[in-house]
Amino acid sequence: MGGFDFSNYNRNNVLHAKGVPLPKATSTGTTIVGCVFDNGVVIAADTRATSGPIVADKNCEKLHYIAPKIWCAGAGTAADTEFTTALISSNIELHSLSTGRPPRVITCMTMLKQHLFRYQGHIGAYLVVAGVDPTGTGLYTVHAHGSTDKLPYVTMGSGSLAAMSVFESTWKPNLNREEAIALASEAIKAGIFNDLGSGSNVDVCVIENDKPTDLLRNYMKPNERGEKARNYRFEKGTTAWVSQKVVSKEDMRKYVTVEEVSGDPNLMEVDS
Amino acid sequence: MVNAHGVTGVLGEDGIHVDMQHLKSGEVNLGTSIMAINFKDGVILGADSRTTTGAYIANRVTDKLTQVHDTIWCCRSGSAADTQAVADIVSYHLNMYAITNNEAPSTQVAASLFQELCYENKDMLSAGIIIAGYDPRHGGQVYQIPLGGSLHKQAYSIGGSGSTYIYGYCDNHWKENMTEEEGINFVRGALQEAIKWDGSSGGVIRLVVLTAKGAVRHLYLPDTGYTAPGVTK
Amino acid sequence: MMSAMGHQSQNGTIGYSFGTPTTAPHKEHSFYPYTDNGGSTLGITGADFAILAGDTRSVAGYNINSRYSPKVFKIGGEDDTGDNAHIILSVVGFAADGHALKERLDAIVKMYKYQHGKPMSVRACAQRLSTILYQKRFFPYYVTAILAGLDEEGKGALYSYDPVGSYEREQCRAAGSAASLIMPFLDNQVSFKNQYIPGSGEGHDLQAKKKELLPMGTVEQLVKDAFTSAVERHIEVGDGLQMMVITKSGIEEKYFPLKKD
Repeated sequence: MGGFDFSNYNRNNVLHAKGVPLPKATSTGTTIVGCVFDNGVVIAADTRATSGPIVADKNCEKLHYIAPKIWCAGAGTAADTEFTTALISSNIELHSLSTGRPPRVITCMTMLKQHLFRYQGHIGAYLVVAGVDPTGTGLYTVHAHGSTDKLPYVTMGSGSLAAMSVFESTWKPNLNREEAIALASEAIKAGIFNDLGSGSNVDVCVIENDKPTDLLRNYMKPNERGEKARNYRFEKGTTAWVSQKVVSKEDMRKYVTVEEVSGDPNLMEVDS
Repeated sequence: MVNAHGVTGVLGEDGIHVDMQHLKSGEVNLGTSIMAINFKDGVILGADSRTTTGAYIANRVTDKLTQVHDTIWCCRSGSAADTQAVADIVSYHLNMYAITNNEAPSTQVAASLFQELCYENKDMLSAGIIIAGYDPRHGGQVYQIPLGGSLHKQAYSIGGSGSTYIYGYCDNHWKENMTEEEGINFVRGALQEAIKWDGSSGGVIRLVVLTAKGAVRHLYLPDTGYTAPGVTK
Repeated sequence: MMSAMGHQSQNGTIGYSFGTPTTAPHKEHSFYPYTDNGGSTLGITGADFAILAGDTRSVAGYNINSRYSPKVFKIGGEDDTGDNAHIILSVVGFAADGHALKERLDAIVKMYKYQHGKPMSVRACAQRLSTILYQKRFFPYYVTAILAGLDEEGKGALYSYDPVGSYEREQCRAAGSAASLIMPFLDNQVSFKNQYIPGSGEGHDLQAKKKELLPMGTVEQLVKDAFTSAVERHIEVGDGLQMMVITKSGIEEKYFPLKKD
């Protein structure tokens, strides 16, 4: 059955007591935001993942799929946001199948908060949940300890203060789609440029009542790397080697087996 | 006496000392001003709207007045996560109670449920809750559950970090059997003082008036000196 | 498990074997005088020049203090302009200490000129800087310094330091938060480490690429690429690149923008 494996708990406590440091998790020192508008809701995120002061991923995805019209932006421990949203997404789909109704944002938010509360903050997922359902538009924040808030505009992550300053100074009621996207991406940019934990690109997801969800991956790219001054191609034979083994293209067939898959290959896709 | 670092519940020189003021690091705190009072026709609940994580205001328009049944509501203070979880569980049980007994639960039943959860899980919770409700048999009632999980029925009750500043105010202005208008002014005046002096409290003042006629929400904004708009919805 | 239990139970508490405190640890409210302001510096020498460079970002935690706060300074020049200086110093680490250290060295080099009627040699200045740092052995200047100039023969000279004054003359050095990212690049591109002459032999007979001093244009390009790359992977490096090139005709200062995220 599922759940966490605690078999190394005591061993790790002994190691930690002896001074072995904890392994560093990839945390998404992040800026994520959400904002409702007249016909739906928009969420946005930066794309930097860090491990201490080192950039672990320059273009990671922090916008997670829950259901076709419910999406989640995640801050905190990368693995926790990934697995928590995947778990709830799975349960939401089963729930939707069993009830025969489209899933609701508040259901998703409740499942998330109850899951996170059970783990007393040890699952470091800080989430912005957004979507539309038959009851209307929903936008919530969920903290790792399990508390939730419902607001017309929200920010989370290390860049939340920078992003919130944009919302608090320029937000107005009854935004339209374009205004909401512009405001959300401006808030993310404030995080990208003023918070060291955030950086690179802006991802946006627009969820509307009567049309399919728009995932605008890399909606803005304000930090493209310039051309390098020099060319660092090494001449062939520059690197020393101890021994070599040449494998010809023909020999490769000995190491791989090619299997033909029947039917629509897209149906077999288990991962993006 | 030798006291191990961070150990709680040790018998110290001044008696039993249990540290329950702790919050886990990074936890969302409702450094709050909340209160509930009895008046002639029922009860009034009141709260500020500030939620903080450290020095940062995570939500400036929080709703700390939570409905757990038709005319049974609570004011939450302490950890946001803990109090929301407790209120959700109580709400579930009260709904089940109403269905199985084909009768609305009394305020006392709700208060007992809150107490059960807060007392049995006192080592895991930081929740200070005020329960107030109206039921036809007992009229309006106010209960308070402080940190340890004890239950106190009171004429009126104040709670949260901001309450320390308004003991004098409330003692001075309290009257039995106030009218609705007097009651609203009492709660609003007290919370206004609490917000003024307590840095962890602020934002708007929310009220809920519970009478035989049901629940009515009020909202008072700082830009009008907490005088308007009043009744909402 | 058992040993820890015995130890704990002496306090008369429940014997959780590896129990963690249930309360937040009591905060020490002592004053800590140092801050890490991040950033990186880098120095490379050539036959008749030396280059010192540093990014211009100053940080505290996840916040940016300044997008233009220089880390490379002229030493011993005229008061406001720094004209006629013949030594340059870069400091990275704790910015306040770096500033204090630069001011001290600057004053000393100036005094030397007034007292002796001739400019201080880079070699002498390097030794003096070491002394200054070691004088504060038990309350150190929290900085990694790099000193550069031209030696008595007109060759590029570069000295790198640890916070308490240990120093060494080198051909190239990276310091600061992204030093671990830049230094291997320099080893490979400046000192030609791990580069061999293609076809010069089999296995262990392979000839290493010959050491040679790089021309100024190449060094400038390497410095730029080192920093644009460090910006990509280190969050504390960015905003601007300040570069000082010292030759027999004086010091030229250059600035190039870097990414601001």
